[in-house]
Amino acid sequence: MNHDLEKLISLHDIDVMIDDLKHADIMEQEESMGLSPDHARAELARIREELASGIRKRWLSLYQQLAGHYGNAVVPAVRDRCCGCLTRLPTAMCSDPDRNEEIHTCPTCGRIIYWAD
Amino acid sequence: MERRCRCVWKLSSTDRKAAVRELLDTLPLADKTKDLLTRALETREQAGPTVIRTGISLPHCRSLLVDDFQIAVGRSVKGVEWHGQKVNVVILMISPVTPGGPQQHMELMKHIATRIRDSGLKGITGAGTPEKLAGVLGFELED
Repeated sequence: MNHDLEKLISLHDIDVMIDDLKHADIMEQEESMGLSPDHARAELARIREELASGIRKRWLSLYQQLAGHYGNAVVPAVRDRCCGCLTRLPTAMCSDPDRNEEIHTCPTCGRIIYWAD
Repeated sequence: MERRCRCVWKLSSTDRKAAVRELLDTLPLADKTKDLLTRALETREQAGPTVIRTGISLPHCRSLLVDDFQIAVGRSVKGVEWHGQKVNVVILMISPVTPGGPQQHMELMKHIATRIRDSGLKGITGAGTPEKLAGVLGFELED
Protein backbone atom coordinates (compact mmCIF):
# COMPACT_ATOMS: atom_id res chain seq x y z
CA MET A 1 0.00 0.00 0.00
CA ASN A 2 1.15 3.53 -0.78
CA HIS A 3 2.91 4.94 2.31
CA ASP A 4 1.07 8.25 2.22
CA LEU A 5 -2.22 6.38 1.89
CA GLU A 6 -1.37 4.27 4.96
CA LYS A 7 -0.58 7.44 6.89
CA LEU A 8 -3.79 9.14 5.73
CA ILE A 9 -5.83 6.16 6.95
CA SER A 10 -4.02 6.29 10.31
CA LEU A 11 -4.56 10.05 10.46
CA HIS A 12 -8.27 9.52 9.87
CA ASP A 13 -8.46 6.91 12.66
CA ILE A 14 -6.65 9.24 15.07
CA ASP A 15 -9.01 12.10 14.16
CA VAL A 16 -11.97 9.81 14.90
CA MET A 17 -10.45 8.89 18.28
CA ILE A 18 -9.86 12.57 19.14
CA ASP A 19 -13.42 13.51 18.12
CA ASP A 20 -14.87 10.61 20.10
CA LEU A 21 -13.04 11.73 23.22
CA LYS A 22 -14.70 15.15 22.92
CA HIS A 23 -18.16 13.58 23.35
CA ALA A 24 -19.41 14.08 26.89
CA ASP A 25 -20.96 10.58 26.96
CA ILE A 26 -17.76 8.87 25.84
CA MET A 27 -15.68 10.89 28.30
CA GLU A 28 -18.01 9.99 31.13
CA GLN A 29 -17.99 6.33 30.13
CA GLU A 30 -14.19 6.17 29.87
CA GLU A 31 -13.76 7.96 33.20
CA SER A 32 -16.15 5.53 34.86
CA MET A 33 -13.97 2.70 33.56
CA GLY A 34 -10.90 4.23 35.13
CA LEU A 35 -9.43 5.61 31.90
CA SER A 36 -8.15 9.15 31.40
CA PRO A 37 -9.88 10.60 28.33
CA ASP A 38 -8.49 14.13 28.76
CA HIS A 39 -4.93 12.90 28.88
CA ALA A 40 -5.55 10.48 25.99
CA ARG A 41 -7.01 13.24 23.83
CA ALA A 42 -4.05 15.54 24.42
CA GLU A 43 -1.62 12.73 23.72
CA LEU A 44 -3.49 11.72 20.56
CA ALA A 45 -3.30 15.32 19.34
CA ARG A 46 0.47 15.22 19.82
CA ILE A 47 0.78 11.90 17.97
CA ARG A 48 -1.43 13.28 15.20
CA GLU A 49 0.87 16.24 14.63
CA GLU A 50 3.86 13.94 14.48
CA LEU A 51 2.15 11.70 11.92
CA ALA A 52 0.87 14.63 9.86
CA SER A 53 4.37 16.09 9.60
CA GLY A 54 5.46 12.95 7.77
CA ILE A 55 2.75 13.19 5.07
CA ARG A 56 3.51 15.00 1.83
CA LYS A 57 1.98 18.48 1.82
CA ARG A 58 -0.07 17.77 -1.29
CA TRP A 59 -1.93 14.92 0.37
CA LEU A 60 -2.14 16.49 3.78
CA SER A 61 -3.75 19.65 2.45
CA LEU A 62 -6.18 17.59 0.37
CA TYR A 63 -7.02 15.54 3.49
CA GLN A 64 -7.61 18.68 5.56
CA GLN A 65 -9.73 20.27 2.85
CA LEU A 66 -11.90 17.13 2.50
CA ALA A 67 -12.16 16.59 6.25
CA GLY A 68 -13.30 20.21 6.66
CA HIS A 69 -15.90 19.81 3.93
CA TYR A 70 -17.26 16.30 4.51
CA GLY A 71 -16.04 15.29 7.96
CA ASN A 72 -14.49 12.14 6.49
CA ALA A 73 -11.65 12.55 4.03
CA VAL A 74 -10.78 8.90 3.48
CA VAL A 75 -13.34 6.22 2.66
CA PRO A 76 -13.19 2.59 1.57
CA ALA A 77 -14.41 1.40 -1.80
CA VAL A 78 -16.89 -1.43 -1.43
CA ARG A 79 -18.25 -3.34 -4.43
CA ASP A 80 -16.69 -0.74 -6.70
CA ARG A 81 -18.56 2.08 -5.03
CA CYS A 82 -17.19 5.03 -3.10
CA CYS A 83 -18.50 4.67 0.45
CA GLY A 84 -18.55 8.44 0.79
CA CYS A 85 -21.02 9.30 -1.98
CA LEU A 86 -22.03 5.76 -3.06
CA THR A 87 -21.19 6.51 -6.69
CA ARG A 88 -19.91 3.65 -8.82
CA LEU A 89 -16.18 4.06 -9.44
CA PRO A 90 -14.58 3.70 -12.89
CA THR A 91 -13.88 0.07 -13.81
CA ALA A 92 -10.29 0.83 -14.78
CA MET A 93 -9.64 2.18 -11.31
CA CYS A 94 -11.23 -0.79 -9.52
CA SER A 95 -9.72 -3.55 -11.64
CA ASP A 96 -6.14 -2.38 -11.24
CA PRO A 97 -4.45 -4.97 -8.98
CA ASP A 98 -2.09 -2.26 -7.68
CA ARG A 99 -4.91 0.18 -6.95
CA ASN A 100 -3.73 0.83 -3.37
CA GLU A 101 -0.20 1.56 -4.54
CA GLU A 102 -1.16 5.09 -5.45
CA ILE A 103 -3.64 7.55 -4.04
CA HIS A 104 -6.98 7.63 -5.83
CA THR A 105 -9.78 10.07 -5.28
CA CYS A 106 -13.45 9.58 -6.09
CA PRO A 107 -14.21 11.32 -9.41
CA THR A 108 -17.55 12.46 -8.01
CA CYS A 109 -16.97 13.63 -4.43
CA GLY A 110 -13.18 13.87 -4.41
CA ARG A 111 -12.69 11.82 -1.24
CA ILE A 112 -9.53 9.72 -0.92
CA ILE A 113 -10.31 6.07 -1.59
CA TYR A 114 -8.71 2.83 -0.53
CA TRP A 115 -9.63 -0.79 -1.22
CA ALA A 116 -9.90 -2.96 1.85
CA ASP A 117 -9.83 -6.32 0.12
CA MET B 1 -27.25 -6.20 22.42
CA GLU B 2 -26.30 -9.59 21.00
CA ARG B 3 -22.85 -9.43 19.52
CA ARG B 4 -20.50 -12.18 18.54
CA CYS B 5 -16.90 -12.46 19.64
CA ARG B 6 -13.90 -14.58 18.88
CA CYS B 7 -11.84 -16.04 21.68
CA VAL B 8 -8.23 -17.02 22.19
CA TRP B 9 -8.46 -19.24 25.24
CA LYS B 10 -4.71 -19.40 25.86
CA LEU B 11 -2.89 -16.35 24.57
CA SER B 12 0.67 -17.31 23.70
CA SER B 13 1.82 -13.68 23.69
CA THR B 14 3.15 -12.15 26.86
CA ASP B 15 3.53 -8.57 25.69
CA ARG B 16 0.87 -6.07 24.73
CA LYS B 17 1.58 -5.54 21.05
CA ALA B 18 1.89 -9.24 20.31
CA ALA B 19 -1.30 -10.02 22.24
CA VAL B 20 -3.24 -7.39 20.27
CA ARG B 21 -1.95 -8.87 17.03
CA GLU B 22 -2.77 -12.40 18.18
CA LEU B 23 -6.35 -11.32 18.79
CA LEU B 24 -6.56 -9.40 15.50
CA ASP B 25 -5.39 -12.53 13.72
CA THR B 26 -8.60 -14.28 14.77
CA LEU B 27 -10.73 -11.71 12.95
CA PRO B 28 -11.87 -12.10 9.34
CA LEU B 29 -9.84 -9.18 8.01
CA ALA B 30 -7.16 -8.74 5.37
CA ASP B 31 -3.54 -8.77 6.59
CA LYS B 32 -2.99 -5.16 5.59
CA THR B 33 -6.12 -4.15 7.49
CA LYS B 34 -4.79 -5.97 10.56
CA ASP B 35 -1.47 -4.12 10.24
CA LEU B 36 -3.24 -0.78 10.17
CA LEU B 37 -5.55 -1.72 13.04
CA THR B 38 -2.54 -2.84 15.09
CA ARG B 39 -1.14 0.65 14.53
CA ALA B 40 -4.42 2.36 15.47
CA LEU B 41 -4.83 0.32 18.66
CA GLU B 42 -1.20 0.87 19.62
CA THR B 43 -1.64 4.62 19.08
CA ARG B 44 -4.60 4.53 21.47
CA GLU B 45 -2.48 2.63 24.00
CA GLN B 46 0.34 5.15 23.70
CA ALA B 47 -2.16 7.91 24.42
CA GLY B 48 -3.28 6.17 27.59
CA PRO B 49 -3.36 2.61 28.92
CA THR B 50 -6.69 0.84 28.49
CA VAL B 51 -6.54 -1.24 31.66
CA ILE B 52 -10.10 -0.86 32.89
CA ARG B 53 -9.75 -2.99 35.99
CA THR B 54 -6.97 -4.95 37.63
CA GLY B 55 -6.28 -7.85 35.31
CA ILE B 56 -8.49 -6.67 32.43
CA SER B 57 -7.62 -4.46 29.47
CA LEU B 58 -9.88 -3.12 26.76
CA PRO B 59 -7.89 -2.07 23.68
CA HIS B 60 -10.46 -0.27 21.54
CA CYS B 61 -11.00 2.19 18.74
CA ARG B 62 -13.37 3.14 15.98
CA SER B 63 -11.89 2.71 12.55
CA LEU B 64 -12.89 3.15 8.93
CA LEU B 65 -11.09 -0.14 8.28
CA VAL B 66 -14.01 -2.23 9.56
CA ASP B 67 -17.62 -2.24 8.41
CA ASP B 68 -18.98 -4.12 11.41
CA PHE B 69 -18.16 -4.52 15.10
CA GLN B 70 -15.13 -6.72 15.67
CA ILE B 71 -14.64 -8.22 19.11
CA ALA B 72 -12.00 -10.69 20.25
CA VAL B 73 -11.36 -11.82 23.80
CA GLY B 74 -8.10 -13.35 24.95
CA ARG B 75 -7.24 -15.06 28.20
CA SER B 76 -3.81 -15.59 29.69
CA VAL B 77 -3.15 -17.41 32.93
CA LYS B 78 0.45 -16.16 33.06
CA GLY B 79 -0.65 -12.65 32.21
CA VAL B 80 0.18 -10.17 29.48
CA GLU B 81 2.46 -7.21 30.24
CA TRP B 82 0.32 -4.09 29.85
CA HIS B 83 2.05 -0.82 30.69
CA GLY B 84 3.84 -2.38 33.64
CA GLN B 85 0.83 -4.36 34.84
CA LYS B 86 -0.20 -7.93 34.21
CA VAL B 87 -3.58 -8.51 32.63
CA ASN B 88 -5.25 -11.90 32.37
CA VAL B 89 -8.12 -10.97 30.09
CA VAL B 90 -7.86 -8.76 27.00
CA ILE B 91 -11.09 -7.58 25.39
CA LEU B 92 -10.34 -6.11 21.98
CA MET B 93 -13.10 -4.13 20.34
CA ILE B 94 -13.17 -2.19 17.10
CA SER B 95 -16.26 -0.32 15.98
CA PRO B 96 -17.03 0.93 12.49
CA VAL B 97 -17.14 4.62 11.71
CA THR B 98 -20.78 5.25 10.90
CA PRO B 99 -22.69 8.42 10.05
CA GLY B 100 -24.51 8.03 13.37
CA GLY B 101 -21.34 8.85 15.30
CA PRO B 102 -19.90 7.02 18.28
CA GLN B 103 -23.22 6.15 19.98
CA GLN B 104 -23.07 2.40 19.29
CA HIS B 105 -19.39 2.29 20.21
CA MET B 106 -20.22 3.90 23.52
CA GLU B 107 -23.10 1.52 24.13
CA LEU B 108 -20.80 -1.44 23.56
CA MET B 109 -18.27 -0.04 26.02
CA LYS B 110 -21.05 0.49 28.52
CA HIS B 111 -22.28 -3.07 27.97
CA ILE B 112 -18.80 -4.48 28.66
CA ALA B 113 -18.34 -2.27 31.73
CA THR B 114 -21.69 -3.37 33.13
CA ARG B 115 -20.92 -7.05 32.54
CA ILE B 116 -17.55 -6.75 34.24
CA ARG B 117 -19.06 -4.90 37.18
CA ASP B 118 -21.89 -7.42 37.56
CA SER B 119 -19.72 -10.52 37.16
CA GLY B 120 -16.79 -9.29 39.17
CA LEU B 121 -13.17 -9.99 38.36
CA LYS B 122 -13.45 -13.61 39.43
CA GLY B 123 -16.45 -14.17 37.18
CA ILE B 124 -14.43 -12.99 34.22
CA THR B 125 -11.04 -14.53 34.94
CA GLY B 126 -12.58 -17.66 36.39
CA ALA B 127 -14.82 -18.54 33.43
CA GLY B 128 -14.02 -22.17 32.71
CA THR B 129 -14.53 -22.33 28.95
CA PRO B 130 -14.41 -19.95 25.98
CA GLU B 131 -18.22 -20.16 25.75
CA LYS B 132 -18.59 -19.20 29.41
CA LEU B 133 -16.11 -16.34 29.07
CA ALA B 134 -18.01 -15.01 26.05
CA GLY B 135 -21.30 -15.53 27.89
CA VAL B 136 -20.14 -13.70 31.02
CA LEU B 137 -19.29 -10.74 28.78
CA GLY B 138 -22.69 -10.99 27.10
CA PHE B 139 -21.43 -12.17 23.74
CA GLU B 140 -22.12 -15.18 21.62
CA LEU B 141 -19.01 -17.12 20.71
CA GLU B 142 -18.16 -17.12 17.01
CA ASP B 143 -17.35 -20.57 15.66
